[in-house]
Amino acid sequence: MNSTSSPGREAWRMFRRNVPAMAGLFVLIGVIGATLYGQLVYAGNPFEIVWAPHELPGATAEFPFGTDYLGRDLVAGLLKGGAPTLAVGAAAALLTMVIGITIGALAGFYGGWADTLLMRVTEFFQVLPALLFAMVLVTLFSPSLITIAIAIGVVSWPQTARLTRAEFLKIRELEYVRAARSIGASNSRIIWTVILPNAAPPLIVSATLTVGVAILFEAGLSFLGLGDPNVMSWGLMIGANREYILDAWWPVAFPGIAIFLTVLAVSLIGDGLNDAFNPKLRGR
Amino acid sequence: MLRTIFEDLNVSKFLTQRIAYGLLLMVGVVILNFFLIRLAPGDPALVIAGEMGGATEEVLTSIREEYGLDKPILIQLGLYLGNLATGDLGFSFFFNQPVASLIADRIGPTILLVLTAQFLSVAIGVFLGVIAARNPRGVISGFVSVFAAIGYAVPVFWTGIMLIILFAAVFPIFPVEGMSSVKLRDASIFIRTLDIMHHLVLPAFTLAIIYLAQYARLCRASMLEVLASDYVRTAHAKGLTERKVLFKHALRNAALPILTVAGLQFGNLISGALLVETVFNWPGMGRLAFDSILRRDYPTILGVLFFASAMVVVANILTDLSYRWADPRLRGKS
Amino acid sequence: MKGTTKLFAAASLAAASIFAQPVLADGGSLTIATSQVPRHLNGAVQSGFATALPSTQIFASLLRYDNDWTPQPYLADSWSFSDDGLSLTVNLNADATFHDGAPVTSKDVAFSLLAIKENHPFKSMFAPVVAVDTPDDKTAVIRMDRAHPALLLALSPALSPILPAHVYDDGQDLKSHPANSAPVGSGPYMLDSFTAGESIVLKKNPNFFIDGRPKLDEIIVRIIKDASSLMITMENGDADMWPYIGGSQQVKRMEGVESLTVTSDGYAGIGPINWLAFNTKGEKTSDVRVRQAIAYAIDRNFITKALHRGTSAPQRGPIIETSPFFDSSIPAYDVDLDKAKALLAEAGYADGMDLAIDYIPAFKEQQQTVAEYLKSQLAKVGINVTLRASPDFPTWAGRINSYDFEATMDIVFNWGDPVIGVHRTYLSSNIVPGVIWSNTQQYENATVDSLLEQAAVEQDLAKRTALYAEFQQIVAQDLPVYWVNSLPFHTAYSDKLENPPVGIWGAMHPMDTIEWAE
Repeated sequence: MNSTSSPGREAWRMFRRNVPAMAGLFVLIGVIGATLYGQLVYAGNPFEIVWAPHELPGATAEFPFGTDYLGRDLVAGLLKGGAPTLAVGAAAALLTMVIGITIGALAGFYGGWADTLLMRVTEFFQVLPALLFAMVLVTLFSPSLITIAIAIGVVSWPQTARLTRAEFLKIRELEYVRAARSIGASNSRIIWTVILPNAAPPLIVSATLTVGVAILFEAGLSFLGLGDPNVMSWGLMIGANREYILDAWWPVAFPGIAIFLTVLAVSLIGDGLNDAFNPKLRGR
Repeated sequence: MLRTIFEDLNVSKFLTQRIAYGLLLMVGVVILNFFLIRLAPGDPALVIAGEMGGATEEVLTSIREEYGLDKPILIQLGLYLGNLATGDLGFSFFFNQPVASLIADRIGPTILLVLTAQFLSVAIGVFLGVIAARNPRGVISGFVSVFAAIGYAVPVFWTGIMLIILFAAVFPIFPVEGMSSVKLRDASIFIRTLDIMHHLVLPAFTLAIIYLAQYARLCRASMLEVLASDYVRTAHAKGLTERKVLFKHALRNAALPILTVAGLQFGNLISGALLVETVFNWPGMGRLAFDSILRRDYPTILGVLFFASAMVVVANILTDLSYRWADPRLRGKS
Repeated sequence: MKGTTKLFAAASLAAASIFAQPVLADGGSLTIATSQVPRHLNGAVQSGFATALPSTQIFASLLRYDNDWTPQPYLADSWSFSDDGLSLTVNLNADATFHDGAPVTSKDVAFSLLAIKENHPFKSMFAPVVAVDTPDDKTAVIRMDRAHPALLLALSPALSPILPAHVYDDGQDLKSHPANSAPVGSGPYMLDSFTAGESIVLKKNPNFFIDGRPKLDEIIVRIIKDASSLMITMENGDADMWPYIGGSQQVKRMEGVESLTVTSDGYAGIGPINWLAFNTKGEKTSDVRVRQAIAYAIDRNFITKALHRGTSAPQRGPIIETSPFFDSSIPAYDVDLDKAKALLAEAGYADGMDLAIDYIPAFKEQQQTVAEYLKSQLAKVGINVTLRASPDFPTWAGRINSYDFEATMDIVFNWGDPVIGVHRTYLSSNIVPGVIWSNTQQYENATVDSLLEQAAVEQDLAKRTALYAEFQQIVAQDLPVYWVNSLPFHTAYSDKLENPPVGIWGAMHPMDTIEWAE
């Protein structure tokens, strides 16, 4: 191979060879494509009652995935319901990573009082039981996609911060960091260009976990009945149909599978990236 | 190993500091929770009246007086903190009982569920992670990755529902009516223990599956990294056996992130327990929390948040202690 | 690991099945499963069936009711109104004692009725009562400042438990009295243990004042909040009775269980009505034509037959259709989309209108589901509905009782006599800000006010019925509320149970005659 290729290109080469990761990528692209453009192919209002309740999937050609407890088309719901779930998951994960990495990196790198202060703030948020606290927040500001995303972000970041800090603590003692310091590199340069890239593998794993956790979190809140009822989302579909699960599994099964596939795809991609960014694995 | 930790003089000082700080943290948490909850729109007197079946203005006024809701919020906070210091968590608006006794009834089941799930997930997760890391391209590794990915990606309440359908409705092997059978309450302790464990199987596995997958992933990722590092190569070069390298050196170094997550996971486990308890009718604090949040039962919400936070604080202190065991480089520092 | 678990489960199962038949005396044990969480067990200061079920087992009351609204002796051997209807004399059972051995006296009756008047949310039950005289230990005279025919129904077990004054009259506030969770009564069962939100265990009262009762040795109330788990518990025979089943799917599923009987009897007293309430002072909803248009647009039969799968009954008026006071000749507003559009056009909304509909975040199939149907259905006549969700009950109640709404789904119970549960939502004198289930529609009609006031004091049943008929005709015309259906409450119970609770108060009634066959 070309020995002068950039690390990014090299990683992509590795990633491409990783079958599960590529499968994850294709599934994710498929899911995003379906939620963005599915409506163009398959028109239908997910709130509209169009048929008898609890029609079995496949029983009517018109409604391939059947209908829910009200007789609403599940395909329309799945297509329309993906976007809010994905948006909440992505927004919450972004918020989590930005806050978490910033605080964790500063604490782990500078140590001393900065570490103490930041870790106390982190601990303060971290001892709040996440789902309980998010439930209180969502109840407080009334359920909407924005409050749900913020609530998830606010309760999730301490974990990322602690992990980042742990990595920084470990790496800052290593030879190459000392070397960078000895040649007079600035602190911010060391943080962002020396330590962070080397701390990246576990953080990437953590980031993928976070996207997944955020999506699952949204589903969990909806399941408990704290979703936004005016916006069709996968979580809402599960929550709404939960009562009827012993009689009709499909209105819960399909959105559950959609969530599962999305989270699975995201985490497979994360695994692939982890392997691809790990230079020590390349020779193997 | 514990002995060496406590022989270290720094540790007892460290521990004292951490506990003192933990208490301070709890006060902060209580104050934050108090204000947050009281900011919420919605009048608790109305909820109480609603639960009583409707109300007139005089009933509402008398309820507000009865529960101290007519006083300024700062005075309510002061009274609450004062009572808390004496171990009085207040009186539940909804259940008409002292919050302390409500929580006392439920903390045991939650701890049982959470610890069982924690044990199952760490033990199985680390085991799977080590196997996977040993041969990252092998069939077993592939299986572990797939299983871990699936376990992680499935919503926990969904797993619970599916397990209920399968093992309680289609094949009625496991009960779903809480933690014990009422009909066995006069049986011997042995039978009742078996009965509780019988009830525990589905919820504990449901809760363990998601975290199990996380530990497996994390363990695999960190082990791979450690295995590729110089000192493991050196260990190999020194002629140490594969097994010894794997468990003594690699696993020990991979333990740091696992411990980080395991400590942190305690809070998440409680969150997961909230969902699992809801699905399986497990008579724990999670269900109490859910019941009280939706009813604006402030004293109970505060009590549950307080105890959940306290559990996390304790778990954190234990995590920090184990850090020092896992990473000798940290021992000199406090 | 899995193998071990299985082995363990099998062992535990085997052990459980060996010991599952604990040695019980002849009466046996009844396990009641419910999703209802009681705050405490004292029905004197708390309405609702969650509390009433255990409360009516623990406390006795002056009267009890059979299946056709006729009062029967209970703690009262006999009773009689004075000719002017201003006093009721009650003669107490000579043998009745509380669980702690103290006799039930007229002092307990006086204390209890006045305590209920002061503390129970249903103010109209005892509003006319001014005093209770106690000429001797076993005679009580209830004195009123106006005739009050609803009094007899208010003396039902579910509404007026007789408390022991020596336990409760100690100066503490009755609403949060410690004995509410550890009650002492004179009913057929005594409290054995109560774990809030989980279970209630009741044991037979061996000194019950009715000879030969209760038949059962114990009643266990198991609270299971998840509907699926509750159904599985019933299907697996781990519970013997499930009252207040509120969802069509649960009803249908229980009907499919061979060993169970499912009935809708037992809910006439509670009279639960699901309705769509209008803010009659709202910008659009103040126009009666708009309200009528909405009524014509809604297909009540679709809701009961399709959404509730035939388990709920249509409800056309303010008084539950199973009540003797219901007037069946009131207009039903059968679905007519053209008429609805015409009325809307007349009201100036020919080009459509926006409407916000609230709903209670509970009883999903009655509230949210119907609201979602309304969103879909009203679109057909050009009404663009926005559903306004409330995260919890207080948020909803706060919006409604401050009149910050256009229309809302709501559930209101009749509670036996119209004076108790119906008047409150139509009397203009009961437009009270901050109070839910008052006249939150802000409906004002002087004729209605006067009819209800007359009906409250009318002692002649026929005349009273006529007054209520006229009232129903007027409100059905004005439509402050569009009544949708009665809740599909059902009770499922084991085939082997004799005398199941199917009277007017259902399971909110002493279960002293229930017994196991064989």
